[in-house]
Amino acid sequence: MTVFVAALTGSVGALARYLLSGAIQNRSRTTLPIGTAGVNLLGALLLGLIVGASDGSLLWTAAAGFTGGLSTFSTWMVETIGLGIVPKPSFRAVANLLIVATLGVALAALGYHITN
Amino acid sequence: MPARSTPVPRRSRRRSVQDLPAPLAVLGGGLIGSAARAAVGAAFPVAVGAFPATTLLVNLAGSLLLGLFLARRQRAVTRRWSLRFWAIGALGSFTTFSTFSVEVFRLLDRQAWASACGYVLASILFGLGAAVIGQRLGRVGR
Repeated sequence: MTVFVAALTGSVGALARYLLSGAIQNRSRTTLPIGTAGVNLLGALLLGLIVGASDGSLLWTAAAGFTGGLSTFSTWMVETIGLGIVPKPSFRAVANLLIVATLGVALAALGYHITN
Repeated sequence: MPARSTPVPRRSRRRSVQDLPAPLAVLGGGLIGSAARAAVGAAFPVAVGAFPATTLLVNLAGSLLLGLFLARRQRAVTRRWSLRFWAIGALGSFTTFSTFSVEVFRLLDRQAWASACGYVLASILFGLGAAVIGQRLGRVGR
């Protein structure tokens, strides 16, 4: 049941990611992958809020499933490689890794402490 | 009496999965990717505060597959629907950044500094490595 619910809300999260990351990227002139950064940071904040508030019921599983679909790790990796990682990491690639990872953990912590 | 000729369907008029609107392709792929990760998570549960090996392996596998898919796609003639279905929908949802962030926070919160650092470094360094390996594999025979 949890797998079924998480799959359903996760697919809605994926659609939200597709629309939102495209909207963010199209509204800016930068070639940095800020569309993916935006949905990932939003997902981290939302999951922090959810985990802080969750009582383990199915509703919270559904909400957590949404953030799983909304955020993505694989695209973050592939886009970072596109910024230049082989043979020598570029400044932009390292910045994309460090900034997104640091803000992601900070936003997850913030969300958790708001609701817990 | 002349045989009635059956009309030959024009290729461009044939309905196919290629005609899927973009949102449906992403939704469909997202369903598969989310179900796969939920199933893996249910099969290999990790206690809160323990090293998040399941998420790590899912993220590494997804990064390798995405690198592979995108590299293959450059040589084969693949339509945009397959990019939306497999890359954006399925592999995008299979891997997760939100769970990664919360797991790092939980390790830090429990002062499991070594696990937290190890998890972040393994995710990022092996994630980049997995995606590069996927890209190289995808270019084999090019």
